[in-house]
Amino acid sequence: MVRPEEARRPLTVSELSFEIRRALRPLSTVLVKGEVTGLKRTGRGNYSFSVRDQQAVMQAFLYGDQARRLGIVPEDGQVFVFRGKVDLWKSGALNLIVDFIQFDDVGRLRAQLEAVKRRLELEGAFAPERKRRLPFLPRVVALITSPTGAVIHDLQETIRDRYPNMEILVYPAQVQGTASPGSVVLALRRCNQEGRADVVVIARGGGSFEELYAFDTEPVARAILASRIPVVTALGHTSDRTVADMVADAECRTPTEAGTRVVPLKRDLLAALAERRRRLERETTRQLAGHAERLAQRRQRLAQVPPALLRRRAERLERFRSELARLSPVRQLERREELLRERGARLEAASRRLLRQRRAELAGRDASARLERALTGRLTAAETGVGHRRRRLQALSPERVLARGYSITLDEAGHVLRSAAGTAPGRAITVRLGAGSLAARVEETRP
Amino acid sequence: MSEQLSYEQALELLDRKLKALEDGDLSLDDALSVVDEARTYLRVAEQRLEEARKRIEVRPEGAGMDEQR
Repeated sequence: MVRPEEARRPLTVSELSFEIRRALRPLSTVLVKGEVTGLKRTGRGNYSFSVRDQQAVMQAFLYGDQARRLGIVPEDGQVFVFRGKVDLWKSGALNLIVDFIQFDDVGRLRAQLEAVKRRLELEGAFAPERKRRLPFLPRVVALITSPTGAVIHDLQETIRDRYPNMEILVYPAQVQGTASPGSVVLALRRCNQEGRADVVVIARGGGSFEELYAFDTEPVARAILASRIPVVTALGHTSDRTVADMVADAECRTPTEAGTRVVPLKRDLLAALAERRRRLERETTRQLAGHAERLAQRRQRLAQVPPALLRRRAERLERFRSELARLSPVRQLERREELLRERGARLEAASRRLLRQRRAELAGRDASARLERALTGRLTAAETGVGHRRRRLQALSPERVLARGYSITLDEAGHVLRSAAGTAPGRAITVRLGAGSLAARVEETRP
Repeated sequence: MSEQLSYEQALELLDRKLKALEDGDLSLDDALSVVDEARTYLRVAEQRLEEARKRIEVRPEGAGMDEQR
């Protein structure tokens, strides 16, 4: 039953494998376009996946090193143009060993993007006045990003550094790959539905145009525009701003910058609060003290009122009493007596003064004869008017006394003797009589 | 009636009474009753001020608020 060709020596598996690999040599640099499915990361950090179209499937393999160099990790559902070589592995599996990956149809994507931008621009979606203010201090910050990796870590760390007990809600989303736009839109919608956050950060760690493609799609842009909660983007260092950046309410580059933007420094707030509290306390104390001072002043004024009331009245009474005393009849008499006395004294003084003046005048006139004449003249002139005075004068004059029988005894010197002791026996005396005189000598003195 | 007066009202009434007293054309009896009224207003104003002081002193400590967030 054995056919001749079957009688030939059979190839070893290794030989067959070698033959196939030689036959595959023309396929050492092929370009294949297909969709990624079943992507797995192997234990050594390489990627194995399938590339397919509608009819066929092909195993593919991408070394981890190569993926890092390219900056792209393919995801299920993405369509790429792969470059690589077809190789048969010892396991018997036929693999496309990928050394270069390119998004399919980048030009078409850019054209689409420009159309989206134009539409949104016309709607005013980029206008600064449309953008909402970020809350001064959010109660809760929502993060829409990949739940693993450096981005979420940096964001959380920055926020907690600035505000240790700030509540952070993470809405995990795919931020890369074909499923990414839908994932981001869903996360944003959920965040708005729950309404717990006051601000939402959409973050990703940068990437190429293709990788950031989700953030240039219209659904994501529209979801950001529709968000009631202010949206901050932090999509990494890129040369181009994405549409998401343009429609967001604030645009940051790094997670750190976004964290700083959405959350204030708690210690600054506390310091500001403490300062205001001090001001409030100072002001309150000052106000209270001011009012207390005003009341104290009034209390003092009020305290002065009753004594003043009494004092005023007492003073008035005192005035009345002295007025009354002044008007009493006894006091009136006394006052009049006083007046009289005073006038009497003045009168006396005046008369004395006059008398002195007259005496001086008289002394000035040395001729007694002139005086006599003048006196006699005056007397004569006033004789009738002063008759009774002259009569009284004559009654008192020594001549009249002598005429009545009295005599006046004078000593040798002509002085009037008023006492017997004024002379002595043997001394000459003159005795004046009413008519004529006697020259006599003393014989005896009797006391 | 004086119990419902605010600090400002009591102060204004007190000032009015003080002015009347210091102008001094009241009868003694009137003046004495005005003094009594003025004392009432003074007491009310002082009470209101004291109430304000107490309200300020017993306010909750601000620190508690900070720790909640």
